Amino acid sequence: MSDLGKGDQSRGCKSAKDQLVQINGAAAPSYWKSPEELHNGARRTAEFPGGLPSSPTGEETTRRDFLAAMGFTVAAAGLAGCRAPVQNAIPLLVGSDEIIPGVANWYATTCRGCASSCSLLVKQRDGRPIKIEGNAESALFGGGTCATGQATVLSLYDDARLRAPLWQGQPTTWQEIDKRVLASLREAQETKSEIVLLSGSVVSPSVQSIIAEWRNSHPHFRHVEYDPVSFTALRAANELSFGRPVVPHYAFDKARVIVGLEADFLGTWLSPVEFARQYAANRNPEKAPALHIQFESGMSVTGSNADLRVAVPPSQLGLVAVALLRRIAHKAGIAPVAGTQDPLDARKLDAVADELWKYRGESLVVSGVNDRSIQVVLNALNAALGNFGKTIDINKPSLQRSGNDNAMAELVAKMQRGDVHTLLMHGVNPAYDYSEPDKFLDGLGKTALAVSFSDRRDETSSRAHAICPDHHFLEAWGDAEPVDSHFSLLQPLIAPLFETRAMQESLLRWIGHPEADYYKYLREFWRTNIFQRQKEIHDFETFWERSLQSGVVTVPPPAAASIPKFQGDWKAAVDRIQKEAGETRADADKSFELHCYETVPMRDGRHANNPWLQELPDPITKVTWSNYASIAPQTAKKLGVNQGDVIRLTAGTRKLELPAFIQPGQESHTISVALGYGRQQVGRAGNNVGWNAYAFTSMEQGDRRYFTKNIVIEKTGRTEKLGSTQTHFSMEGRPIVLETSMAELRRNAEPGNEPATQPSLWAERLHGEHAWGMAIDMNACTGCSACVVACQAENNVPVVGKDQIERIRIMHWIRIDRYYSGEEEDPVSVHQPMMCQHCQNAPCETVCPVLATTTSSEGLNQQVYNRCIGTRYCANNCPYKVRRFNWYNYTENPKFDFNMESPLGRMVLNPDVAVRSRGVMEKCSLCVQRVQLAKNVALQGKRELADGDIQTACQQACPSQAIVFGDLKDPNSRVSKMQHNQRRYQVLDELGTRPNISYLKKVRNPMETA
Amino acid sequence: MSTTSISVNGKAPDAARGIETQMLPPPSWVDDKPSLRDITDDIARPLEARPGKGWWICFGIAFAALLNLGGMVTYLFAKGIGIWGLNNSVGWAFDITNFVFWVGIGHAGTLISAILLLFRQQWRTSINRSAEAMTIFAVMCAGMFPAIHMGRPWDAFFIFPYFPNQRGPLWVNFRSPLVWDVFAISTYLTISLVFWYLGMIPDLATLRDRATGKIKKFAFRLLSLGWNGSHRTWSRYEIVSLVLAGLATPLVLSVHSIVSMDFATSLLPGWHTTIFPPYFVAGAIYSGFGMVLTLLIITRSTMNLQRYITLRHLDKMAKVTMLTGMIVSYAYLTEFFSAWYGGNLYERYHFINRATGPYAWCFYLMVLCNVVTPQLLWSRKARTSVRFLFIVSIMVNIGMWFERFVIIVVSLHRAFLPSGWGMFYPTIFDIGILVGSFGLFFTCFLLFIRLLPMIAMWEIKGVVGHGAHKMALSSDEDQEEVAVNA
Amino acid sequence: MRLHWVFAGIVGMGFAVGTGAWQLSRIGIHQGYTPKQPIAFPHKVHAGDNKIPCLYCHYAARTSRHAGIPPASVCMNCHTILEKQTVEIEKLKEAVDQQRPIRWVKVHNLPDFVYFNHSQHVLSGVACQRCHGAVETMNTVSQVAPLTMGWCLQCHREHAKLPVGDFQRAALGLKEKQKPVAGLDCASCHY
Repeated sequence: MSDLGKGDQSRGCKSAKDQLVQINGAAAPSYWKSPEELHNGARRTAEFPGGLPSSPTGEETTRRDFLAAMGFTVAAAGLAGCRAPVQNAIPLLVGSDEIIPGVANWYATTCRGCASSCSLLVKQRDGRPIKIEGNAESALFGGGTCATGQATVLSLYDDARLRAPLWQGQPTTWQEIDKRVLASLREAQETKSEIVLLSGSVVSPSVQSIIAEWRNSHPHFRHVEYDPVSFTALRAANELSFGRPVVPHYAFDKARVIVGLEADFLGTWLSPVEFARQYAANRNPEKAPALHIQFESGMSVTGSNADLRVAVPPSQLGLVAVALLRRIAHKAGIAPVAGTQDPLDARKLDAVADELWKYRGESLVVSGVNDRSIQVVLNALNAALGNFGKTIDINKPSLQRSGNDNAMAELVAKMQRGDVHTLLMHGVNPAYDYSEPDKFLDGLGKTALAVSFSDRRDETSSRAHAICPDHHFLEAWGDAEPVDSHFSLLQPLIAPLFETRAMQESLLRWIGHPEADYYKYLREFWRTNIFQRQKEIHDFETFWERSLQSGVVTVPPPAAASIPKFQGDWKAAVDRIQKEAGETRADADKSFELHCYETVPMRDGRHANNPWLQELPDPITKVTWSNYASIAPQTAKKLGVNQGDVIRLTAGTRKLELPAFIQPGQESHTISVALGYGRQQVGRAGNNVGWNAYAFTSMEQGDRRYFTKNIVIEKTGRTEKLGSTQTHFSMEGRPIVLETSMAELRRNAEPGNEPATQPSLWAERLHGEHAWGMAIDMNACTGCSACVVACQAENNVPVVGKDQIERIRIMHWIRIDRYYSGEEEDPVSVHQPMMCQHCQNAPCETVCPVLATTTSSEGLNQQVYNRCIGTRYCANNCPYKVRRFNWYNYTENPKFDFNMESPLGRMVLNPDVAVRSRGVMEKCSLCVQRVQLAKNVALQGKRELADGDIQTACQQACPSQAIVFGDLKDPNSRVSKMQHNQRRYQVLDELGTRPNISYLKKVRNPMETA
Repeated sequence: MSTTSISVNGKAPDAARGIETQMLPPPSWVDDKPSLRDITDDIARPLEARPGKGWWICFGIAFAALLNLGGMVTYLFAKGIGIWGLNNSVGWAFDITNFVFWVGIGHAGTLISAILLLFRQQWRTSINRSAEAMTIFAVMCAGMFPAIHMGRPWDAFFIFPYFPNQRGPLWVNFRSPLVWDVFAISTYLTISLVFWYLGMIPDLATLRDRATGKIKKFAFRLLSLGWNGSHRTWSRYEIVSLVLAGLATPLVLSVHSIVSMDFATSLLPGWHTTIFPPYFVAGAIYSGFGMVLTLLIITRSTMNLQRYITLRHLDKMAKVTMLTGMIVSYAYLTEFFSAWYGGNLYERYHFINRATGPYAWCFYLMVLCNVVTPQLLWSRKARTSVRFLFIVSIMVNIGMWFERFVIIVVSLHRAFLPSGWGMFYPTIFDIGILVGSFGLFFTCFLLFIRLLPMIAMWEIKGVVGHGAHKMALSSDEDQEEVAVNA
Repeated sequence: MRLHWVFAGIVGMGFAVGTGAWQLSRIGIHQGYTPKQPIAFPHKVHAGDNKIPCLYCHYAARTSRHAGIPPASVCMNCHTILEKQTVEIEKLKEAVDQQRPIRWVKVHNLPDFVYFNHSQHVLSGVACQRCHGAVETMNTVSQVAPLTMGWCLQCHREHAKLPVGDFQRAALGLKEKQKPVAGLDCASCHY
């Protein structure tokens, strides 16, 4: 977007700085105790009227500027020969017991990265939120996060964010906006024409009640919820089956057999963090691990973890459901299911059905297919298996997705007819992600007033009359109820950086609510609703404080309702499925199906301007900065398509040209294309990255369908480079990822797998008080890649961009190696987190000529950046290839125009970790800054370090708790206990490197019969 | 070109016959016994006459390449070594390949001047001077690469154990072969420089006495350190050269052994080999002689020195080349054998990959140049055909560059973890700097043959067979010449 | 005769090189740096004559990596009561009244690549004077220590070598195992 040019930017930076000034005054008090201060602008701006001084250039913010926010700005005033630059130290005028320069505060809030609404604990350092971590107190999410969640902190410092409200694209004041909106609303009232709020799934109960108030005050008000990736069918099916239009709450940890139909519940589906935790806990080979069968067309994170993965084209998935239902119905002695056709090898289906039946009541069949007949059939199936009330909770449903495709379609029709007078849009971008964006835009043009709450000029908001930028959620108050009667709160960690206003406040003002201050409204709402529903605390103030502190509140559900009876018409559904599948079956060989899916990094595309996510390798393909057409190897061979060949996909009038990626395990008649790419107006990092595939979704029987049949593939002759961080996918028969089977484990009676003590010429290294080590459970790791972003955020790892990645120069300190074994058509995949192994006999150490890398007395392999002269000898001699070299200056370098180039973006940097400059080697430090800090905290508390005091960033982020860090010298620490696990091994330990990182073997749990 | 030169010489038939009828003991290493004065004149000619067109063309090209080097290195220091094709998988490529290549070239010089001196090999006399010069320039080129491959030369001083040092106990890592390199190379450069200069002193004196121009005279006076050809001076001189030769001899072996340890001490398949030191030394001498051949074949014709650098010299050098070439080939075989016999999974894969992987063509080019080519030198015809030898010598240079490339890049690009595998593609800067290093080398050498006697006159005079007594007179005679000139 | 000159030359060159190297090695060391402060705050009067503990004003040093310059409000704790007026105190009050921050000049500057944590040292019983010199005797604070790595390690080595049972344990009342030992690992300060 051109008008987001430098000028705009610099203006932004300045105002950003002014805002930062304000933080010093009241940041801490504002979000904590006395909201009055937050809103008492006078005092804030009076703190440093002139603004905090920065480096002489004025514009540039240096790393030292972290000191700025704590009222400790340091300004470099030109070097004179060898003289020290004069550095100023500017303390607060009025001290606060909450901000102590250099000490981080932690505050609980709730993630708004997607509608899953995970509970977070955010690190706020010197007035800035700089790191997002999971809130372990949450009963649902238990301290895990996903890659998106980890990255949201960077979107707070996004240059593309609007600095002030816009009217007709011109900056204006809130008074002005309010005036115009109120006028339009009044007009709508008078003309009795429709006012519509179009929003994403609303997970916030208080916002629900604000919307309710709108309904009361405006008879012609409608609220439409729209999710680009929709759960409409699931809700509709539950209405048909149980009369309850809800998304049930699933318990993957209670199931012994899990069957997924195109449901990427470990990667993107519904609530991946929660599900990953449940799943990993449930797959622990030391207990009885659940069996997981996945039917899907493209290889998903979930599929790559399944014990049995069956590739099925999207159009045939319904038949799988039917085939399973037929078998189960037969076993259960329910009325027979029509038809006999099986979409695939009947023996496989029999085996799956047997397993399901064997564990009826402890099984779970889920599908992400947005097709209500399939969902009805699955409800029938789960009901026949008696899973409702056991693994599926429909009484305490999940409230994380409530979009309605029908309503959206109707709305668009209405708008085109010109029946919508005023349209308010929050958290949606239909001009980009609706199946027929031009229709929507046409309608948008016909509205009298279109207001967007978007934080930037995006495809939709740039066409609206007014943009009323909402706060970033780290600047905002709020609440959420992801699952019935599980509440959580949002609280601001920083005073708004720009002239933004909470969407809720706008809504309150516009219905002339007596209390336009959303914070007060929220408190009031909690007093009258949530506070009443709990018994422990009798005084609201205490309740409020506790809730803010812990961030989560769980109240007893209204009434333990009985499990509803299934009364859906599954026979009709079966007929429809078979009819529809039959059509495609006929010409299956000639034409292909295009399957649209969400990737872990990009999801539905709302975070496209977040360079951390753009650079995050896809967990399966390891491709960054682009989407592509995944095509099966055998199909590619048949069509003569090679990796990177640009192919044209045509379905009627819809065309899409994008590079092919040869994906083992891809269903042979299906091309998978990721959604969320190809944004046109999102910001410098995200514009024109990849290609938009939303056009290939369509409405069928009131559900948005995410696959298209009868696709024609042609080669264009062009090729595109794909920035992949891993180019070789076979282990070449090397003992890198070791596997074992359940049978093997059970047979293996040996007590433990003691670390092999090979004879060594080296002196014993670990003479320190501790010996830090890590253990990684390869069986728990799902490959979700949250750790990668967490590490990037914690350790100031730079973003290098597509070009550098094509040159194999990714900087991530932790990477997740993904290997395939077995045959190409149906591979077995493993994910292996790989970072510096902190060898006690480190090959890198002996070769460094200047001792820039050495092993510490506590077993850490330490890299001293200011000593490194950049011979790269260490990297050459590292068998794990985990060392990263700064080929260029990746900070403050216009050539790498990502967050570390922009002064605003650099505010996310961690002041406790040096930013590496050009020509320096770097690598995983096992978060030594956290180790040192924990020691210091223990010292302050006059106590010993306890196991668990130190969590590395990757460990903290891991939703499946695959990573454990601790002291190997403490025999009772979790990590030392894991050293005795019989699955333990070390990568390449035959080289005698003696790593301090060990792995637990992956356990294969094959179906006996399959 | 050789034929033309020979016809110019006019003594070709004799020369040829001389070879046909077995070299008679004592073999004469200079054709048609020139008088001592002729020798002085012939060798001093290039310094006193204006250079020919050939020289100017060569110099123009070389200097252009040198300028290009300067430009690219400046850009490199400004931007960072990201401008090279290196990546996380392949951390060294052209930079260290060139380094090892040039160090290797640098070997022939000392070998010829020191070892052959100790072995009393008379044929060295007409080639040692230029070989030593070549050594020095080659080592200069080599020394440049470790400095620039870091991209931040201003921090390079960290690599020296120096005092005073404000970092307390922090010192260099004496376990690191790179530190050994620094010592080895600098020692080698120093010794070679001293040896070379010492060898030139008598000739510099001669030139001083011949010199006409004021500046020339002054310069040569300064350089010749007041040499007077007295017997005392001569005897001292002989002793010193012998001592220095003794000192230099172990260096011939040590330098490249240590360079080879950069690889041998690592644990990378393809680097982690005990045979590297002898293997590298042999390779170095091989490439060194290759380069000496290249240079001398050019200079003897352009400077009309066929009389002093005879076909018999070329023949000798060809023989050394063939021998060392065969040692190298043997080393290649041993590597493959031990990879197979050792049964190490990674080692095996590496050598399979070397012969069948994406860089296989480099490997086969290397085999062609270093294994097949030397075998052609069995035939005397080949060894005495100047044109053929020239081609061979070029092949040798190419082959040895690719040997280092194969060892470094092919080992790195597919190491232990397949997830870390990646290809290396050179950029314009990789190639430009390689070419530039040749520019530096040839510029220096061309200037050398213009400004300094490229053949040791006084040593030649010792072997033309005028007899010892004359030898002693030579210096007096020099004085006479001065008288004549004056 | 000639030889003497040669000899003298060599000695002279050696000397020149030596001093040159020494000078080079002193680059970036600012021992004795005594900048002028916007308000001529006399540590002598406060810490010396009136015996105000360092940590009263620099309270952050107990809990943070930064000792921190006290907020003006801390100064005002006393100076609202004390009636003694000087030009300098006027400056302070003026700053507070006008809500104008005071631009103190930082005296002790460490490079970005060094992580130094005040609280760690304070809690281990290292006296402030050990690094900052006898501030209580200074009117204008100046940098006493060279603040070089060698200088840091000198102290760290002594204390790493300290036998079990020393002032630190006394100061902290810790068990033997917990005795904080000055780290000698690179990663104690560089990350």
